[in-house]
Amino acid sequence: MSQRAEEQLKERIRGGYILESPEEMTPGYRRAIIIQLTVQADTELMSAPAYWLAARHAPSTNTQVSAHAIIQDELAHANIAYRLLEDMGVSKEKLVYGREPHEFKHPYGFDQPLDNWAELVVANGFFDRAGICLLGDVHRNTSYGPLKRALVKVDMEETFHLRHGEVWMRRLARAGGAATELLQRCVDWMFPMTIEWFGLPDDLKRHSGQLDYQLKGLTNDELRQLWMSSTVPLCEGLGLKVPAHYDEAAEEYVLDYPFPCEYDPEAKHWLFDDGEITWDAVFERWKGRGPMNERYVESVRRSRGTVSSWLN
Amino acid sequence: MAELSAGIATVSAPVRRRRPLKTLLAMRPMALPDASGGRDSWSAPLGEAPADGAAAVRAVVGEVLDPELPISVVELGLVYGVDFEDGTARIDLTFTATACPCMDFIKQDVSDRIAMEPWVDRVEINEVWDPPWTTARISEEGRRKLARLGVGA
Repeated sequence: MSQRAEEQLKERIRGGYILESPEEMTPGYRRAIIIQLTVQADTELMSAPAYWLAARHAPSTNTQVSAHAIIQDELAHANIAYRLLEDMGVSKEKLVYGREPHEFKHPYGFDQPLDNWAELVVANGFFDRAGICLLGDVHRNTSYGPLKRALVKVDMEETFHLRHGEVWMRRLARAGGAATELLQRCVDWMFPMTIEWFGLPDDLKRHSGQLDYQLKGLTNDELRQLWMSSTVPLCEGLGLKVPAHYDEAAEEYVLDYPFPCEYDPEAKHWLFDDGEITWDAVFERWKGRGPMNERYVESVRRSRGTVSSWLN
Repeated sequence: MAELSAGIATVSAPVRRRRPLKTLLAMRPMALPDASGGRDSWSAPLGEAPADGAAAVRAVVGEVLDPELPISVVELGLVYGVDFEDGTARIDLTFTATACPCMDFIKQDVSDRIAMEPWVDRVEINEVWDPPWTTARISEEGRRKLARLGVGA
Protein backbone atom coordinates (compact mmCIF):
# COMPACT_ATOMS: atom_id res chain seq x y z
CA MET A 1 0.00 0.00 0.00
CA SER A 2 1.21 3.48 -0.79
CA GLN A 3 2.27 6.42 1.27
CA ARG A 4 -0.96 8.02 0.04
CA ALA A 5 -3.01 5.30 1.74
CA GLU A 6 -1.11 5.89 4.98
CA GLU A 7 -1.78 9.62 4.80
CA GLN A 8 -5.44 9.03 4.01
CA LEU A 9 -5.84 6.79 7.03
CA LYS A 10 -4.11 9.33 9.30
CA GLU A 11 -6.44 12.00 7.94
CA ARG A 12 -9.55 9.90 8.66
CA ILE A 13 -8.26 9.13 12.16
CA ARG A 14 -7.68 12.83 12.81
CA GLY A 15 -11.35 13.29 11.93
CA GLY A 16 -12.29 10.86 14.70
CA TYR A 17 -12.45 7.60 12.75
CA ILE A 18 -12.15 4.44 14.85
CA LEU A 19 -10.85 1.25 13.23
CA GLU A 20 -12.79 -1.87 14.17
CA SER A 21 -10.87 -4.63 12.41
CA PRO A 22 -7.36 -5.48 11.22
CA GLU A 23 -8.62 -5.44 7.59
CA GLU A 24 -8.89 -1.66 7.82
CA MET A 25 -5.22 -1.23 8.80
CA THR A 26 -2.53 0.04 6.48
CA PRO A 27 0.92 -1.61 6.77
CA GLY A 28 2.22 1.39 8.72
CA TYR A 29 -0.68 1.32 11.17
CA ARG A 30 -0.35 -2.43 11.57
CA ARG A 31 3.36 -2.18 12.28
CA ALA A 32 2.84 0.55 14.88
CA ILE A 33 0.02 -1.20 16.75
CA ILE A 34 1.86 -4.54 16.75
CA ILE A 35 4.85 -2.90 18.46
CA GLN A 36 2.57 -1.15 20.94
CA LEU A 37 0.57 -4.27 21.82
CA THR A 38 3.67 -6.47 22.05
CA VAL A 39 5.24 -4.11 24.58
CA GLN A 40 1.93 -3.98 26.47
CA ALA A 41 1.46 -7.77 26.50
CA ASP A 42 5.07 -8.56 27.40
CA THR A 43 5.05 -6.01 30.21
CA GLU A 44 1.90 -7.46 31.77
CA LEU A 45 3.24 -11.00 31.35
CA MET A 46 6.64 -10.34 32.91
CA SER A 47 5.15 -8.49 35.85
CA ALA A 48 3.53 -11.79 36.90
CA PRO A 49 6.69 -13.81 37.73
CA ALA A 50 8.28 -10.72 39.27
CA TYR A 51 5.29 -10.26 41.61
CA TRP A 52 4.93 -14.00 42.14
CA LEU A 53 8.39 -14.45 43.59
CA ALA A 54 7.91 -11.38 45.79
CA ALA A 55 4.48 -12.54 47.00
CA ARG A 56 6.18 -15.38 48.89
CA HIS A 57 7.15 -12.70 51.39
CA ALA A 58 3.52 -11.74 52.08
CA PRO A 59 3.08 -11.10 55.81
CA SER A 60 -0.18 -13.11 56.07
CA THR A 61 -2.47 -15.41 54.11
CA ASN A 62 -4.95 -12.63 53.37
CA THR A 63 -2.25 -10.33 52.06
CA GLN A 64 -0.93 -13.14 49.90
CA VAL A 65 -4.44 -13.58 48.45
CA SER A 66 -4.38 -9.89 47.48
CA ALA A 67 -0.97 -10.25 45.86
CA HIS A 68 -2.05 -13.35 43.96
CA ALA A 69 -5.19 -11.57 42.74
CA ILE A 70 -2.92 -8.90 41.27
CA ILE A 71 -0.79 -11.55 39.55
CA GLN A 72 -3.89 -13.20 38.12
CA ASP A 73 -5.04 -9.81 36.77
CA GLU A 74 -1.68 -9.21 35.12
CA LEU A 75 -1.78 -12.57 33.35
CA ALA A 76 -5.29 -11.83 32.12
CA HIS A 77 -4.20 -8.39 30.90
CA ALA A 78 -1.32 -10.00 29.00
CA ASN A 79 -3.74 -12.43 27.42
CA ILE A 80 -6.04 -9.60 26.31
CA ALA A 81 -3.19 -7.93 24.44
CA TYR A 82 -1.88 -11.21 22.93
CA ARG A 83 -5.44 -12.02 21.81
CA LEU A 84 -5.71 -8.69 20.01
CA LEU A 85 -2.37 -9.48 18.33
CA GLU A 86 -3.76 -12.83 17.20
CA ASP A 87 -6.56 -10.94 15.42
CA MET A 88 -3.77 -9.33 13.38
CA GLY A 89 -2.31 -12.68 12.45
CA VAL A 90 0.49 -12.61 15.02
CA SER A 91 0.96 -15.94 16.78
CA LYS A 92 0.53 -15.83 20.56
CA GLU A 93 2.17 -19.23 20.67
CA LYS A 94 5.30 -17.87 19.01
CA LEU A 95 5.34 -14.72 21.09
CA VAL A 96 5.14 -16.54 24.41
CA TYR A 97 7.10 -19.72 23.61
CA GLY A 98 9.07 -18.98 20.46
CA ARG A 99 11.29 -16.10 21.51
CA GLU A 100 14.53 -15.88 23.37
CA PRO A 101 14.14 -14.27 26.81
CA HIS A 102 16.03 -11.14 25.71
CA GLU A 103 13.62 -10.66 22.78
CA PHE A 104 10.65 -9.86 25.02
CA LYS A 105 9.78 -6.18 24.90
CA HIS A 106 8.92 -5.41 28.52
CA PRO A 107 10.79 -2.59 30.25
CA TYR A 108 14.08 -3.16 32.04
CA GLY A 109 12.29 -2.61 35.37
CA PHE A 110 10.68 -6.04 35.05
CA ASP A 111 14.05 -7.71 34.66
CA GLN A 112 14.87 -6.85 38.25
CA PRO A 113 14.40 -9.04 41.31
CA LEU A 114 11.77 -7.94 43.83
CA ASP A 115 13.30 -9.32 46.99
CA ASN A 116 10.80 -8.51 49.71
CA TRP A 117 7.23 -7.38 50.43
CA ALA A 118 8.23 -3.70 50.42
CA GLU A 119 9.63 -4.00 46.90
CA LEU A 120 6.41 -5.65 45.74
CA VAL A 121 4.20 -2.90 47.12
CA VAL A 122 6.43 -0.11 45.78
CA ALA A 123 6.30 -1.89 42.39
CA ASN A 124 2.49 -1.68 42.70
CA GLY A 125 2.72 1.96 43.70
CA PHE A 126 5.26 2.96 41.02
CA PHE A 127 5.23 0.45 38.14
CA ASP A 128 1.47 -0.15 38.11
CA ARG A 129 0.94 3.61 38.28
CA ALA A 130 3.18 3.92 35.20
CA GLY A 131 1.00 1.26 33.58
CA ILE A 132 -2.13 3.26 34.38
CA CYS A 133 -0.58 6.46 32.96
CA LEU A 134 0.38 4.64 29.76
CA LEU A 135 -2.72 2.51 29.29
CA GLY A 136 -5.15 5.18 30.54
CA ASP A 137 -3.78 7.39 27.79
CA VAL A 138 -4.12 4.60 25.23
CA HIS A 139 -7.69 3.98 26.41
CA ARG A 140 -8.66 7.62 25.94
CA ASN A 141 -6.91 8.18 22.64
CA THR A 142 -6.54 4.94 20.71
CA SER A 143 -8.03 4.80 17.23
CA TYR A 144 -8.44 1.00 17.53
CA GLY A 145 -11.90 0.20 18.90
CA PRO A 146 -11.28 -3.35 20.18
CA LEU A 147 -8.33 -2.15 22.26
CA LYS A 148 -10.25 0.83 23.62
CA ARG A 149 -13.02 -1.45 24.92
CA ALA A 150 -10.62 -4.06 26.30
CA LEU A 151 -8.78 -1.44 28.33
CA VAL A 152 -11.87 -0.51 30.39
CA LYS A 153 -11.41 -3.66 32.46
CA VAL A 154 -7.62 -3.41 32.50
CA ASP A 155 -7.58 0.15 33.82
CA MET A 156 -10.07 -0.56 36.60
CA GLU A 157 -8.15 -3.58 37.80
CA GLU A 158 -4.92 -1.63 37.72
CA THR A 159 -6.56 0.84 40.10
CA PHE A 160 -6.77 -1.91 42.70
CA HIS A 161 -3.08 -2.70 42.21
CA LEU A 162 -2.24 0.95 42.72
CA ARG A 163 -4.43 0.98 45.81
CA HIS A 164 -2.61 -2.06 47.13
CA GLY A 165 0.69 -0.26 46.62
CA GLU A 166 -0.44 2.97 48.27
CA VAL A 167 -2.05 1.34 51.31
CA TRP A 168 1.03 -0.73 52.02
CA MET A 169 3.47 2.11 51.39
CA ARG A 170 1.48 4.12 53.93
CA ARG A 171 1.58 1.26 56.47
CA LEU A 172 5.33 0.77 56.09
CA ALA A 173 5.96 4.52 56.27
CA ARG A 174 3.97 4.75 59.51
CA ALA A 175 5.66 1.72 61.03
CA GLY A 176 8.94 3.62 61.34
CA GLY A 177 12.34 2.09 62.06
CA ALA A 178 13.58 -0.72 59.83
CA ALA A 179 10.32 -0.87 57.83
CA THR A 180 10.55 2.78 56.83
CA GLU A 181 14.25 2.47 56.01
CA LEU A 182 13.51 -0.52 53.80
CA LEU A 183 10.73 1.45 52.08
CA GLN A 184 13.11 4.33 51.41
CA ARG A 185 15.68 1.95 49.88
CA CYS A 186 12.96 0.63 47.53
CA VAL A 187 12.03 4.15 46.49
CA ASP A 188 15.70 5.00 45.89
CA TRP A 189 16.09 2.43 43.11
CA MET A 190 12.52 2.13 41.86
CA PHE A 191 11.77 5.83 41.36
CA PRO A 192 14.55 6.39 38.77
CA MET A 193 13.72 2.98 37.28
CA THR A 194 10.17 4.13 36.52
CA ILE A 195 11.33 7.53 35.25
CA GLU A 196 13.58 5.74 32.75
CA TRP A 197 10.71 3.38 31.80
CA PHE A 198 8.92 6.19 29.92
CA GLY A 199 11.78 6.22 27.44
CA LEU A 200 13.52 8.83 25.31
CA PRO A 201 12.83 12.50 25.98
CA ASP A 202 10.63 14.11 23.33
CA ASP A 203 13.38 16.25 21.84
CA LEU A 204 15.42 13.13 21.00
CA LYS A 205 12.54 10.94 19.91
CA ARG A 206 11.80 10.41 16.24
CA HIS A 207 9.57 7.36 16.39
CA SER A 208 6.14 8.90 16.24
CA GLY A 209 4.01 6.26 14.50
CA GLN A 210 1.98 5.69 17.65
CA LEU A 211 1.13 9.40 17.85
CA ASP A 212 0.53 9.82 14.09
CA TYR A 213 -2.00 6.98 14.04
CA GLN A 214 -3.41 8.09 17.38
CA LEU A 215 -2.56 4.87 19.13
CA LYS A 216 -1.77 7.07 22.10
CA GLY A 217 -2.18 10.76 22.88
CA LEU A 218 0.61 11.76 25.23
CA THR A 219 4.35 11.96 24.57
CA ASN A 220 6.98 10.26 26.74
CA ASP A 221 7.79 13.47 28.60
CA GLU A 222 4.11 14.23 29.14
CA LEU A 223 3.57 10.77 30.60
CA ARG A 224 6.64 11.19 32.80
CA GLN A 225 5.25 14.48 34.13
CA LEU A 226 1.86 12.92 34.76
CA TRP A 227 3.43 10.04 36.67
CA MET A 228 5.52 12.40 38.81
CA SER A 229 2.50 14.62 39.48
CA SER A 230 0.93 11.86 41.56
CA THR A 231 4.01 9.93 42.71
CA VAL A 232 6.06 12.82 44.11
CA PRO A 233 3.26 14.21 46.34
CA LEU A 234 2.45 10.67 47.53
CA CYS A 235 6.04 10.04 48.58
CA GLU A 236 6.52 13.48 50.10
CA GLY A 237 3.31 13.00 52.10
CA LEU A 238 4.76 9.78 53.52
CA GLY A 239 8.03 11.46 54.46
CA LEU A 240 9.95 9.61 51.74
CA LYS A 241 12.73 11.31 49.83
CA VAL A 242 12.51 11.29 46.03
CA PRO A 243 15.07 12.70 43.57
CA ALA A 244 12.58 15.11 41.95
CA HIS A 245 10.66 18.23 42.93
CA TYR A 246 7.99 20.57 41.62
CA ASP A 247 9.46 23.73 40.14
CA GLU A 248 7.01 26.57 40.84
CA ALA A 249 8.40 28.86 38.16
CA ALA A 250 8.46 26.22 35.41
CA GLU A 251 5.16 24.69 36.64
CA GLU A 252 6.49 21.20 36.15
CA TYR A 253 8.42 18.46 37.89
CA VAL A 254 12.19 18.53 37.65
CA LEU A 255 14.60 15.65 38.27
CA ASP A 256 17.35 16.23 40.82
CA TYR A 257 19.82 13.78 39.28
CA PRO A 258 21.59 13.33 35.96
CA PHE A 259 19.15 11.74 33.52
CA PRO A 260 19.73 9.26 32.08
CA CYS A 261 22.36 7.68 34.27
CA GLU A 262 23.96 4.30 34.85
CA TYR A 263 22.47 1.60 37.05
CA ASP A 264 24.15 -1.17 39.00
CA PRO A 265 21.59 -3.99 39.10
CA GLU A 266 23.54 -6.13 41.55
CA ALA A 267 23.71 -3.33 44.12
CA LYS A 268 20.28 -1.93 43.09
CA HIS A 269 21.95 1.43 42.95
CA TRP A 270 21.85 4.35 40.49
CA LEU A 271 25.24 5.91 39.87
CA PHE A 272 24.16 9.56 40.19
CA ASP A 273 27.73 10.61 40.96
CA ASP A 274 29.03 9.29 37.63
CA GLY A 275 26.92 11.86 35.80
CA GLU A 276 24.76 11.75 32.71
CA ILE A 277 25.20 8.99 30.13
CA THR A 278 23.92 8.78 26.54
CA TRP A 279 20.64 7.16 25.57
CA ASP A 280 22.65 4.79 23.38
CA ALA A 281 24.27 3.53 26.58
CA VAL A 282 20.79 3.10 28.12
CA PHE A 283 19.60 1.12 25.06
CA GLU A 284 22.70 -1.08 25.38
CA ARG A 285 21.87 -1.81 29.02
CA TRP A 286 18.24 -2.54 28.13
CA LYS A 287 19.23 -4.82 25.27
CA GLY A 288 21.55 -6.71 27.59
CA ARG A 289 18.48 -7.30 29.81
CA GLY A 290 18.52 -7.44 33.61
CA PRO A 291 19.43 -10.14 36.11
CA MET A 292 16.02 -11.89 36.26
CA ASN A 293 15.16 -11.91 32.55
CA GLU A 294 15.79 -15.59 31.86
CA ARG A 295 14.38 -16.81 35.14
CA TYR A 296 11.13 -14.86 34.70
CA VAL A 297 10.61 -16.07 31.14
CA GLU A 298 11.37 -19.64 32.17
CA SER A 299 8.97 -19.26 35.06
CA VAL A 300 5.97 -18.36 32.89
CA ARG A 301 6.75 -21.20 30.49
CA ARG A 302 7.64 -23.91 32.99
CA SER A 303 4.29 -25.54 33.62
CA ARG A 304 3.56 -26.07 29.97
CA GLY A 305 3.25 -29.77 29.26
CA THR A 306 3.02 -30.65 32.90
CA VAL A 307 -0.52 -29.32 33.31
CA SER A 308 -1.97 -32.43 31.70
CA SER A 309 -0.06 -34.65 34.11
CA TRP A 310 -1.51 -32.76 37.08
CA LEU A 311 -4.99 -33.44 35.75
CA ASN A 312 -4.44 -37.19 35.43
CA MET B 1 5.20 2.80 25.45
CA ALA B 2 8.74 2.38 26.59
CA GLU B 3 11.23 2.63 23.79
CA LEU B 4 13.03 -0.68 23.98
CA SER B 5 15.44 -0.55 21.18
CA ALA B 6 16.72 2.19 18.94
CA GLY B 7 16.52 -0.43 16.23
CA ILE B 8 12.73 -0.45 16.08
CA ALA B 9 12.55 3.31 15.64
CA THR B 10 11.41 4.47 12.22
CA VAL B 11 12.54 7.89 11.15
CA SER B 12 9.85 10.51 10.82
CA ALA B 13 9.19 14.02 12.05
CA PRO B 14 10.16 14.84 15.64
CA VAL B 15 7.29 14.39 18.07
CA ARG B 16 5.48 17.58 18.94
CA ARG B 17 6.44 19.79 21.81
CA ARG B 18 5.13 18.66 25.14
CA ARG B 19 2.18 20.44 26.68
CA PRO B 20 2.35 21.98 30.16
CA LEU B 21 1.53 19.73 33.11
CA LYS B 22 -1.55 21.75 34.06
CA THR B 23 -2.98 21.13 30.59
CA LEU B 24 -2.40 17.40 31.00
CA LEU B 25 -3.94 17.35 34.45
CA ALA B 26 -7.01 19.18 33.18
CA MET B 27 -7.64 16.50 30.54
CA ARG B 28 -7.19 13.32 32.55
CA PRO B 29 -10.57 11.66 32.98
CA MET B 30 -9.06 8.21 33.51
CA ALA B 31 -5.33 8.76 33.47
CA LEU B 32 -4.92 8.44 37.21
CA PRO B 33 -8.03 6.98 38.73
CA ASP B 34 -8.92 7.42 42.35
CA ALA B 35 -6.98 4.82 44.29
CA SER B 36 -8.08 6.25 47.62
CA GLY B 37 -11.53 4.68 47.92
CA GLY B 38 -13.02 8.13 47.40
CA ARG B 39 -11.19 9.71 50.35
CA ASP B 40 -10.31 12.78 48.32
CA SER B 41 -13.99 13.61 47.95
CA TRP B 42 -15.32 12.58 51.35
CA SER B 43 -17.53 15.34 52.77
CA ALA B 44 -16.90 17.08 56.08
CA PRO B 45 -18.43 15.37 59.14
CA LEU B 46 -21.85 16.45 60.37
CA GLY B 47 -21.57 19.04 63.16
CA GLU B 48 -24.13 17.46 65.44
CA ALA B 49 -25.89 14.13 65.91
CA PRO B 50 -28.51 13.60 63.19
CA ALA B 51 -32.14 12.78 64.02
CA ASP B 52 -31.94 9.56 62.00
CA GLY B 53 -28.55 8.05 62.89
CA ALA B 54 -28.91 4.94 60.73
CA ALA B 55 -29.80 7.00 57.63
CA ALA B 56 -26.85 9.30 58.30
CA VAL B 57 -24.47 6.34 58.64
CA ARG B 58 -25.79 4.91 55.37
CA ALA B 59 -25.28 8.28 53.72
CA VAL B 60 -21.63 8.55 54.76
CA VAL B 61 -20.90 4.93 53.80
CA GLY B 62 -22.31 5.96 50.42
CA GLU B 63 -19.19 8.11 49.96
CA VAL B 64 -16.89 5.08 50.11
CA LEU B 65 -15.91 3.87 46.65
CA ASP B 66 -15.12 0.34 45.61
CA PRO B 67 -11.34 -0.08 45.15
CA GLU B 68 -11.74 -1.06 41.49
CA LEU B 69 -15.01 0.34 40.20
CA PRO B 70 -15.71 4.05 40.59
CA ILE B 71 -19.09 3.47 42.27
CA SER B 72 -19.86 3.42 45.99
CA VAL B 73 -20.06 0.27 48.08
CA VAL B 74 -23.76 1.11 48.66
CA GLU B 75 -24.40 1.34 44.90
CA LEU B 76 -22.50 -1.91 44.44
CA GLY B 77 -24.91 -3.55 46.89
CA LEU B 78 -22.37 -4.57 49.54
CA VAL B 79 -24.25 -2.97 52.46
CA TYR B 80 -26.90 -5.38 53.78
CA GLY B 81 -27.92 -3.46 56.85
CA VAL B 82 -27.19 -0.34 58.91
CA ASP B 83 -28.05 0.35 62.50
CA PHE B 84 -27.19 3.14 64.92
CA GLU B 85 -27.79 3.00 68.65
CA ASP B 86 -26.14 4.65 71.68
CA GLY B 87 -23.23 5.99 69.67
CA THR B 88 -22.49 2.64 68.01
CA ALA B 89 -22.75 2.27 64.23
CA ARG B 90 -23.27 -1.31 63.03
CA ILE B 91 -22.89 -2.28 59.39
CA ASP B 92 -23.69 -5.61 57.78
CA LEU B 93 -21.26 -5.79 54.92
CA THR B 94 -20.75 -8.43 52.27
CA PHE B 95 -18.20 -8.77 49.46
CA THR B 96 -18.48 -9.82 45.86
CA ALA B 97 -16.55 -13.04 46.54
CA THR B 98 -15.23 -14.92 49.56
CA ALA B 99 -11.71 -14.55 48.18
CA CYS B 100 -12.19 -10.85 47.44
CA PRO B 101 -8.66 -9.40 47.55
CA CYS B 102 -9.99 -5.98 48.55
CA MET B 103 -11.86 -6.88 51.77
CA ASP B 104 -9.17 -5.32 53.87
CA PHE B 105 -9.33 -1.99 52.01
CA ILE B 106 -13.13 -1.87 51.92
CA LYS B 107 -13.51 -2.56 55.64
CA GLN B 108 -10.88 0.01 56.49
CA ASP B 109 -12.48 2.66 54.27
CA VAL B 110 -15.97 2.05 55.65
CA SER B 111 -14.70 2.10 59.20
CA ASP B 112 -12.56 5.22 58.69
CA ARG B 113 -15.37 7.14 57.01
CA ILE B 114 -17.92 6.42 59.74
CA ALA B 115 -15.37 7.09 62.50
CA MET B 116 -14.85 10.60 61.09
CA GLU B 117 -18.30 11.52 62.46
CA PRO B 118 -17.95 13.05 65.96
CA TRP B 119 -21.35 11.64 67.06
CA VAL B 120 -20.19 8.07 66.40
CA ASP B 121 -18.27 6.46 69.30
CA ARG B 122 -17.85 2.94 67.92
CA VAL B 123 -18.00 1.21 64.53
CA GLU B 124 -18.85 -2.48 64.24
CA ILE B 125 -18.60 -4.21 60.90
CA ASN B 126 -20.26 -7.61 60.54
CA GLU B 127 -19.18 -9.70 57.59
CA VAL B 128 -22.28 -11.28 56.03
CA TRP B 129 -22.22 -14.03 53.41
CA ASP B 130 -25.89 -14.96 53.29
CA PRO B 131 -27.50 -14.27 50.90
CA PRO B 132 -24.50 -14.28 48.60
CA TRP B 133 -23.87 -11.14 46.59
CA THR B 134 -24.76 -11.22 42.90
CA THR B 135 -24.66 -8.52 40.23
CA ALA B 136 -28.44 -8.19 40.71
CA ARG B 137 -27.63 -6.22 43.89
CA ILE B 138 -26.05 -3.33 41.98
CA SER B 139 -28.37 -0.32 42.19
CA GLU B 140 -29.89 1.37 39.15
CA GLU B 141 -27.69 4.41 39.70
CA GLY B 142 -24.63 2.16 40.01
CA ARG B 143 -25.59 0.44 36.77
CA ARG B 144 -25.98 3.77 34.97
CA LYS B 145 -22.54 4.94 36.14
CA LEU B 146 -20.91 1.67 35.09
CA ALA B 147 -22.64 1.73 31.71
CA ARG B 148 -21.24 5.20 31.07
CA LEU B 149 -17.76 3.73 31.61
CA GLY B 150 -18.40 0.82 29.31
CA VAL B 151 -18.90 -1.77 32.05
CA GLY B 152 -21.95 -4.03 31.71
CA ALA B 153 -23.45 -5.47 34.90
